[in-house]
Amino acid sequence: MEFGLWQVWDAGWVTAILRGAAVTISVGLLSMVAGLLIGIVCGLIKWARIFPLSLLVDGYTSLVRGVPELLVIYLLFFSSVEFVTKVITAFGYAGLAQSGYAFVIAVIAIGTISGAYSTEVIRGALASIPSGHIEAARALGLPGSRIFHRIIAPQMLRIAVPGINNVWQTTIKDTALVSVVGLQELMRISYIGANSTRHPFVFYLIAAVVYLVITLVSQAGFDGIERLLRLRARR
Amino acid sequence: MKMKVLSLLALLAASTGSALAAAGELSIGTEGAYPPWSMSDANGNVTGFDADVGALICTKLEVKCHFVVQAFDGLIPALKAKRFDVIISGMSITADRKKEINFSVGYAELANMFVAPKGSDLAGVTDIDTLLKSLTGKKVGVQAGTTHAHFLEKRAPDADLKTYDTLDQMQIDLASGRIDAAFADQSALQDFLDKPDGKNFQLVNVKIKSTFDPTLGEGLGVGIAKENTELKAKIDKALCELVSDGSVGKASQKWFKTDISRPCN
Amino acid sequence: MELIQLAVPVLLKGLWVTAALTLVSVLIGFNLGLGLALMRLSSNRFWAGFARYYSNVFRGTPLLVQIFIFYYGLGEVSLIKDNALLWWVISDGSRCAVLALALNTAAYTSEILRGGLMSVPTGLVEAAQACGMSRILRFRRIEFPLAIRQALPAYGNELILVVKGTSLASTITVLEITGYAKRLMSQTFAIFEIFAIAGILYLVVNLLLIAIVRSIERYLMRHEAQARQGISTPRVDGSAVV
Repeated sequence: MEFGLWQVWDAGWVTAILRGAAVTISVGLLSMVAGLLIGIVCGLIKWARIFPLSLLVDGYTSLVRGVPELLVIYLLFFSSVEFVTKVITAFGYAGLAQSGYAFVIAVIAIGTISGAYSTEVIRGALASIPSGHIEAARALGLPGSRIFHRIIAPQMLRIAVPGINNVWQTTIKDTALVSVVGLQELMRISYIGANSTRHPFVFYLIAAVVYLVITLVSQAGFDGIERLLRLRARR
Repeated sequence: MKMKVLSLLALLAASTGSALAAAGELSIGTEGAYPPWSMSDANGNVTGFDADVGALICTKLEVKCHFVVQAFDGLIPALKAKRFDVIISGMSITADRKKEINFSVGYAELANMFVAPKGSDLAGVTDIDTLLKSLTGKKVGVQAGTTHAHFLEKRAPDADLKTYDTLDQMQIDLASGRIDAAFADQSALQDFLDKPDGKNFQLVNVKIKSTFDPTLGEGLGVGIAKENTELKAKIDKALCELVSDGSVGKASQKWFKTDISRPCN
Repeated sequence: MELIQLAVPVLLKGLWVTAALTLVSVLIGFNLGLGLALMRLSSNRFWAGFARYYSNVFRGTPLLVQIFIFYYGLGEVSLIKDNALLWWVISDGSRCAVLALALNTAAYTSEILRGGLMSVPTGLVEAAQACGMSRILRFRRIEFPLAIRQALPAYGNELILVVKGTSLASTITVLEITGYAKRLMSQTFAIFEIFAIAGILYLVVNLLLIAIVRSIERYLMRHEAQARQGISTPRVDGSAVV
């Protein structure tokens, strides 16, 4: 067939594509989790206006949101994150250092980018919590940790869900950019397949479909979570 | 007492220097997307002329070979970041590159040529000056970070230079007609012409040797980090032996049907 | 430092290309996005469905994949190669990048404008209908201006994303800021410095964009600022100033 569908099946590219999709999802998940952790810490700092940390956080989010992700990835990749190799070796994963290098760089890069967006989402969510709740809790004499644990955190997470959905969608799509530094994720596999078989149309179309499936399934998942939370909140 | 300390220090120094050899493995950075020099399949196995040269060196040094695939323009920064020990990826020795890393002795020569559609006005050119002049305004493809890219940037500044990350992408665009010509090493271009995509193209009959311009380098070498002087000495010795006993030449014949090895001096 | 002297003029050349790519993509993408938003809000099931699928597809796949499909993928299809107009667009990296960026931003723009149009209070629309305004007049005078005002902050974000998206054009041979940065990096190996300068250029562009959007916001909302300050036209009949 003109578009080489047969070659896709024949040369075992299907397994490679599935493997790539798995790597994409794992990078996405790890980066998202890292980004959320960063987002919660930085969002809290920004909301609580802890000088001068909040200035640093402001600088971080403005920088990451203002500079193209491709540039951030190239920078992190090429500027010899030598210490990454040292860190990995120090942890005893010397053998993994070779293949794990690109993966670690990918998670660091995408996690950093995701964290900046998460920070804004968390900050917005925190700002939406009615201050009356927190004042009442303080008036009742509840300790700070209890206030956070019982009043702030649950509301923050619930309000932030739509925003986190957006950040996830962006994060999983940004993982495609890490293909330029050689990580064997979905986009990279399609790229290799497209180049070696000289049939770019099929391969990139398949990649698009797989990404679409991932995003649509995630969207459905998040819609379900939102519905659940709305039901619970209606108590 | 002093002697003991000194000898201990000497032992320490020697061991860090030869740490790589002692580990029994040589990690080699290569592009993996430049047939017939360096090809890698979906599982990461590397084959090609560079892989064979690497294997020959490893056997001589009695260590195991381990290949790391990396985009070409990222090879030097990655070597400096100690991601691997050496670079064997059809990399030419140039003055600019020597500022960043060391090279072994040259082990092979490149013949740089242009590829153009059959019957186009570029195809018929036979001397280099006409060729460089006729590139004005034409779209010419090169690979990012190569001596070919730097040569055309310097010697054909009026050409519309299109830079690609890999040879394959450049050849896809050449086949579809987006660029008027491509400039790369003869063996890589010949590989393209032998494929069905390349049947409407031909080599322009002008061989540009590396001696024509310093941007084209002084032959191909193995890239080694600057501080790794002991490894460089070992590899130099191994390469000279391999070239003189013909092993490199044999590998060259296997992949290029011609001997491109270069005697070491 | 002579590195900066070498790098800055080159990167500024790329800045022009980045700006041009952004401008053309936004011009096309905004109009297309407006059309899609209207389609989505229309009662015609076919158009609404088409707009929804378009939006999902272009927002659900990475921009890089879209660019590669348009450039390398479509470049393989003989139907495209034989058509002079289509080939004119696809054959050149910049034009192809504009196509991909425009189609991509249209999807996001349509969502933003849809939100804006839906937020127009129905009372205003009904009042306009009661006044006998035609659909087009109602749209031009009531719905569109109010929708834009509502959507402006979100659209400002989208504009910044378009600027960042132009950096992906470097993967299909276009020489904009990122493209020149990569070339410089492979010549000088001064990785951190080159990307720092490139990053600063992008930041400056984006900060400028934010400032422009904020000033447009302030201009459109100037009636609120005036009301807050208590300035309003005095009534001729002397009734109380509101």
